[in-house]
Formats: sequence, structure tokens, C-alpha cells
Amino acid sequence: MTDHNRLWQIRAGATAVAAIALVAGCASKGGGSATGPSGGAPGKALVIGASVSLTGDFSDSGKAVQRGYQLWADTMNAKGGILGRKVQLKIVNDASSPSQVVTNYQNLINKDHVDLTFGPFSTLLTIPASQVAKRYGYAFLAPAGGGPKVFAQKLNNFFFVQPAPTTQSGDVFAAYILSLPADQRPKTAAYAELDDPFAAPIAENIRQKFEAAGIKTVYKQVYPSETADLSPVMGAIAAKHPDVIVGGTQNQDAYGQIKSLVQLKFSPKFMFQSNGANSPLEYPDKVGRANTEGVISAADWFPGSTAAGSADFTAVYIKKYGGTAQSVDDSSAEAYATGQLIEAVAAKTHKIDNATIISSLHSGSWPTLLGNLSWSSDGAPNGEFNLVQWQKGKLVPIYPASVSQATPEAPKPNWGG
Amino acid sequence: MHALIQGIILGILTAGVYALMASGQTLIFGIMKVVNLAQGAMVILGAYLAFQLFTSFGIDPFLAIPITTVALFVVGVLVQLLFLRPLRSDDRSELSLLVTFAVALLLEGIMSVIWSTSDRSINTHYANSSWTVFGYQITLVRLWAFLLSLFALGLLYLLLNRTRFGRAIRASVQNPESATLLGVQSERVSAIGFGLGAATAAAAGSVYGLLYPFNSGSHYDLISRLLSIVILGGLGSVGGAVIGALVISVSSAIVASAISPIWSEMTFFIVLLLVLLVRPRGLFGTAARGAI
Repeated sequence: MTDHNRLWQIRAGATAVAAIALVAGCASKGGGSATGPSGGAPGKALVIGASVSLTGDFSDSGKAVQRGYQLWADTMNAKGGILGRKVQLKIVNDASSPSQVVTNYQNLINKDHVDLTFGPFSTLLTIPASQVAKRYGYAFLAPAGGGPKVFAQKLNNFFFVQPAPTTQSGDVFAAYILSLPADQRPKTAAYAELDDPFAAPIAENIRQKFEAAGIKTVYKQVYPSETADLSPVMGAIAAKHPDVIVGGTQNQDAYGQIKSLVQLKFSPKFMFQSNGANSPLEYPDKVGRANTEGVISAADWFPGSTAAGSADFTAVYIKKYGGTAQSVDDSSAEAYATGQLIEAVAAKTHKIDNATIISSLHSGSWPTLLGNLSWSSDGAPNGEFNLVQWQKGKLVPIYPASVSQATPEAPKPNWGG
Repeated sequence: MHALIQGIILGILTAGVYALMASGQTLIFGIMKVVNLAQGAMVILGAYLAFQLFTSFGIDPFLAIPITTVALFVVGVLVQLLFLRPLRSDDRSELSLLVTFAVALLLEGIMSVIWSTSDRSINTHYANSSWTVFGYQITLVRLWAFLLSLFALGLLYLLLNRTRFGRAIRASVQNPESATLLGVQSERVSAIGFGLGAATAAAAGSVYGLLYPFNSGSHYDLISRLLSIVILGGLGSVGGAVIGALVISVSSAIVASAISPIWSEMTFFIVLLLVLLVRPRGLFGTAARGAI
């Protein structure tokens, strides 16, 4: 779910601009847009092309996306394929480069003539890639890349395969807190926000809702991404004794916040972190398992989810890649959900071409292991994330009631040390 | 006021770690007039080695320091022999910037391949422990790190001032030609000096891994801070590196606690500029050679 290593994204930004300019230039020279390929003959393989980051800064998440795509394709082929056509994946490596991702999708579409395209990892790569797909009339389903700039393109072929835009992922925490009886609601709040388009805006959305509901802000600071030591920030927060701390975080700073609070021996009644804390595998390893108890985060998929196909996905994932449900990367689940949407469109329309996919997904609600998804015209999903909490070493959904599997643990117990 | 004093305590303790990293940087400059842009990457390599020894063999990061310092000493010597020695002496300072940056990128690539780009952190049972003294928290790891830094810097001082090798280093710094005429093998001194600088990075890396999550790209932020410290203290001055680390670390912590973390990162550059306006060679830098 996270777009990480922002420093690299910034560094690569200039390249991205150049890549976008190149695409725009090509588009202006290319004349009218080509239409996407049709359904193809039954029996002919359904070739789906995707560029993922198998090397470079996004390689960990890129490989997780690849696993999700592959797992879905294997599952479909075991069932006989889609509309009688075997699914054949053509995955190429973009090395986390915005210019390479453009080249890759142009080759996939023009040289390899793939039937469909799936998205890469990160907003940085999704923006130029989605423009290439748009130019050639391809539907572009992206399991990652939910930053505001993606939706600002207003591409009707684009669908972000998560429950909500990334910056709204914390809204479910505000909804939970405001659903509490008045005597259990926090009175004061502190906000520590990473200066990152995928972190600070999440906390700011929560702050606006809290302040409107009368929860007093006692501390709010934005810190730059190069802040290695969060102790001074968390020390200032601890001195204010807020009831709730809202961390607009990515990964490293999320770990740093918790470690500092443990060292400062200050435990708030509610502790929310937008990212980092939603990683079942990484989080306990980084902050210590004993310090996870009661920490709240937001997630689209979680181990033990009962959403459509989640149990099957978890089982085949573990069978193929080993580990436990807790070790499944949510990027794999999001990639798998991308395939589920294609499957659902084919099942409903009995067609599998780009125009059908685009028109179908723009109406109605579509079941996936991330829940039922629907989109507005710019590809922004209309749903909300799930609120998850660390309880006894596991990440469990606590809100909304439709997905809840445990009673929220409030107030949060003291740190384990 | 409580947050401010807490910030000052944190700043002082953290300064020890930065002093350790920066002392290696300034030692290398003092001996070779090489600004080692790979020092941050070497610190991160030290952190990874400590992480690996802890996760694979259960070796405590503090106890791993003798192993990691030897490993990084070898890396440092090899870097000097393979990449820096071939440079022509008349333009070594300029070219070494490029070469050491290339070494930093090379180390980053190797670390990415071996440990991936995921964040790592070393979580010992005492990693988050702290003592409460008059209502203020003294983080155990930071305290140990501070004491370790004092110890390591003390060793470095003794090495430079009480041993034959130290005299050879100082002679090379003050007048390389005369030192060579008197039998000092300057190339050998340079190689060992670079190795020593890398070894201090290894010691600091163990502590860094205990304090902060890190990944292979963490060295970029680190090197800008290290350069600020050694320039503030005076390039080539180990004592200056310690004072520079204190000034920068404490001022950053005060600003982050009392004003804003946004200004905190900028603080040390402002302090640096102010000091350089008054003392262009830094706090303890001298116009003559031999400031080590």
C-alpha cells in the first residue's frame, strides 16, 4: 500500500517529467488514438502485460506485485482460464525508472500486442504508464499508485485497485473515534506528520475531522523525510500528554515514532499511524512485538479477511511462496485483486476487451479480496479502508463493523518496553 | 521547558555517535586531504554487519564492534589501495570526491543486493530501555553509545599521540615530503589511515543500527550531516569533530523540540554558515597543516 523511499522518488522526479514530456510529445505526433484490441478468439491465450520494478528502489514491493499477478494467473489457468482462454503474463522490469516504464508499456502494446495491461508499483511510475495506456485505448488497472496526481489526470481508462485514494486511508480512524460515546472519546490530540504526499495529508484529513468534532489539537508538526531522529518531536508531544497521537507516517518514521515514545515512557490512549504499522511482518520486527499492542492503522487487506477470494488467495499464496498469512505482503493482495476484476468483468459481460472493461468498471460495485470496489470517473475508488489494530501480536480488523473481527482495545495498554 | 531540556539531553547523547562517525571522516582528510563521501555508506555497512551478526548469531551489536571494525578496516584499506592510490597526487583532492562518491554508490548497490532495500533495525532487548532521572529520560542505548564514542575517541587520541604509528601519521600530515625522507612510508600510512577512518564508521554503524531504522540509501542524509560536522569543527581536527557534533546535534534537538523539526534540519547549516563567516576554516581548523 505504501509508496516508499520518497527521497528516491524526488531524485527520479526530473526523469519522470522528461518521460511524461516524451509521451506527450509522441501522443501529439501520433494522430488519432488507436482502439484497444478486441476480445480475441476463444482458445487463444489472453496475454496481459505489466511492467513491475524487479530491481531498484521499489524492487521489494515490485516483486510482491509480481507474485500477486502470477498467483492470480496461475489460479485462473487452473480453473481453465478466462472465457476459455489461458492467461499468459508478460512481465517486464522497469528498474523503478519512470522512463523505462514508458518504454516498457509502449513495447508491450505496440511490439508484443498484449491484450490487456496491469499497472506498475508507485505513483511515480503509474502516472507516465497510465498515459501510455490511455493513448492506445487500454484499460489501466493499477494496484499501487493512488497519489492525488494520478487522479488529477482525469483518465477514464484508469482504475486504482484499492478501496480509497491513499490520502483518505485514515478517514476510517476518524470515523471510529467519532463513533465512540462522548465519555470515551479523546479530548486532546497531537499530530506528527512526515512531509510526504502519502503521509501528512492523511493526518491532516483526520485533524480536520477531529477539530470539527471538538477534539483539541495540542501539538502539530510536520517533519522532513531526512529527519533521522524523532525523539525531539515525540518528546515535545509527550510533554503535552495528548489522549491520541496521529502519526502521518511512512515506514521508517513510523518505527522511529514508536521507539522514541517507548524510550520516553509515554503511551497515549490511542495511537494511530497511517503506514508502517499496517505491515504484519515488518512492524513487530522493527519496533519490538511487545510494543505493537494497541497500535492502530489502516489497511485494505489483512490476514483472515473474509472478503471475496481472500481465503483462496491466502491459501495459494502460502502454498506457492511459503510463510504464513501474516507474512503476505498487501501489495500481492492488491495485485491479485486487479486480476479478480478482469475475471469478474468477463464473468458478467462474457467479453474481455479493453472497452468492455472500462465501461463495466465505471458502473456498479465489484467484489475483490479488498472488498467491493467502485470508482469515480477519474479512477479514484469510492470506498474506505479498514481500521486494523495490533492485538496479541496480530493485526486484526476492528472497524467498520462489517469487517470487524475483534473488539477495539481502548485505551491502548502501556508499551512493552 | 521540560521538552527543551529533554531535547538538550538527547542532543548531547546523540552527539557522541556523530562525533565517532565524523572523527573517521576528519582523520582521513587530515592524512590524505581526501573528503571521503563514502563515510556515510561505510557507517551503514557497519550497521548492516552488526544487524547480520545479531540476527544470524545473536551477537550483541556492542560486542560485534571488534568484528565489524576489523571488517571495515579491511574495506577501507582496500578502497585506498584500489581506488585512491592510483590517483595522481597533484589532483587527488578533486578526483577523490568523485572516486569516494563512486565507492558510496558501489557500497549502496552491494548492500541493496545482499540485504534488499527494506528498512532494517537492530532490536535488542535493551534497545528501547531508558532511565528516568529527575523526570527526564536517559536512553540506555544513547548513553552507551556516548560512552563508547568517548572510549573510541580516546583510543584514537592515544594512537595518534602516543604511538610510533601516530607520530608517522602526524608527520605525514605536517610535512609529507620530510616525513618520507625520514623513512615514513606515506602510502602505507595513508592506507592504514583510511582503514582507521572506516573502522570508526563501523563502530558508529553498530550504534546507528540500534538507534534508527536504516536501509541502503540512508547514507545520503548521513553524509551531508557528517560533512557539516567536520567543516564546522575544522577539516582535519578530531577535537573539532567532537565539538562540531555537539554543536550541531544539540542545536538541532533544541530547535526540533522548541520550534519545529522542519527548521531543525536547517539549523546546522545556519550554524555552519555563521561559524564559517567568523572562522572560515571552522572552529578548530588551522591555516597550517598538522591540525589533526
